[in-house]
Amino acid sequence: MPIVYACAASHAPGLTAWREAAAPEQLAKVSAAFETLREGLAAARPDRIVLLTSEHWANFFLDHVGAVCFGRADYYEGPVEPWLKVPKQKVPGDPALSLRLLEHCYANGFEPSHAQEMKFDHGSMVPLHFLTPDFATPVVPILFNTLAAPRCSPKRCLQLGDVLGAALDAAPERIAVVATGGMSHDPGERNHGFIDGDFDHAFLQAMTQGDLAALGAYSDAQILAAGAGAMELLAWICLAGIMRHRRPSFSSYEPVKPWATGIGHLRYDIGASG
Amino acid sequence: MSAYTLNKMLREINRDPGARQRYSQDAEAFAAGFELAEEERHAFLTRDIGALYRLGAHGLILRPFTLLQQMPEPEYLRLIRE
Repeated sequence: MPIVYACAASHAPGLTAWREAAAPEQLAKVSAAFETLREGLAAARPDRIVLLTSEHWANFFLDHVGAVCFGRADYYEGPVEPWLKVPKQKVPGDPALSLRLLEHCYANGFEPSHAQEMKFDHGSMVPLHFLTPDFATPVVPILFNTLAAPRCSPKRCLQLGDVLGAALDAAPERIAVVATGGMSHDPGERNHGFIDGDFDHAFLQAMTQGDLAALGAYSDAQILAAGAGAMELLAWICLAGIMRHRRPSFSSYEPVKPWATGIGHLRYDIGASG
Repeated sequence: MSAYTLNKMLREINRDPGARQRYSQDAEAFAAGFELAEEERHAFLTRDIGALYRLGAHGLILRPFTLLQQMPEPEYLRLIRE
C-alpha cells in the first residue's frame, strides 16, 4: 500500500522545555502547525511510523559513527534529557519491519548500520510528543549522522529515499513517514541564536516544489553556513527522495529566537496530491 | 570535535542516570575513570564552562551538561563567548 501520510517538522528542545520563552503569537503559530500535522497523521490511521531523525550524541558517538542507522529494537526509551519536560516513555518499535527495510536497502545498493538498542533524545521525542501524544504507534527510526564529518551527502540522502520509498510504497502496512530536524540553527555554539531566514525559505521552497535537483545540489558548506544544526535537514532531503513527485500541501515557517532555530513544518496529503 | 575523552565523559553524565549519580556524589572519583589532560580535569572539577568549551567540549554536549545544572542560556553563552 502506498505511504498513507508524510510530514516534516523541526524538533528544538525549547518546544517543550522552555515553551513559554517564545512570543505568544509565535507559540500559537507553531502549535497550530504541529496540530495540523497531528490531525493529518491521525486521519491517515497509520499502522507504523518511519521516523527520519537525527540526534545529539545520544547514540552515535566518536567511538563508532555510521552514516545512517536503522533502529530494529522492540522499543526505544526516551527522552535521554531529564530536563526536556516530556515524560519518559518506551516508544514501541517494529523489528520485523526494520529488518524488511534493511534487507531491501542491502539488496538495492545501500548498506546502513543497524541497532537493536537505541535511545531517543529530543530529536525524536519532541516531534513524537506533538504528533502521537500517546506514543502508541510503533516506530522504525532511521538515524542520520548529522554531527561528525564526513556525513551522507544530500544527493546520497535523496538516493536512499528513492530506494526506501519503493519498499514503503509496497508495504502491506499503512505507513506514515515523519522527517525531523533543522531548520537553520547553531545550537550550543558561540553563534547560538543565529537563524538564516533566507536559507530556510529557499530550502522550504525546494521541498514544497519537490525540486529534487535543487535539494541534491546542496553542498555541506552551504548547509553548514546556516548553522551546524541545519545539517539535520538531511532527513528532510531523504523524505523528498521518498515522496518523489508527491508534494506537500501545507507548509509553515517561524524563526523563533528564544528557541534559537527556524521552525519549519510540511504536511503531505497523499489522498489529495496522489 | 577534539577532546575525545572529555566529551565522552560529559556525554555519559548527560545520557546515563547512573553516571549522573556517580558524578554528583563524587566528581573527582568520577573524573578519575577517564584519561583527561590536567587542564581538562581542572576545568571539569571547577565547572569552568568557558574553559571546557575552549578545550573542545562540543556545544551539543556542553549545553545539555549545563542544563542539568539549570544554567540559564545567557550565562552559558556569556561563558563560552569569553
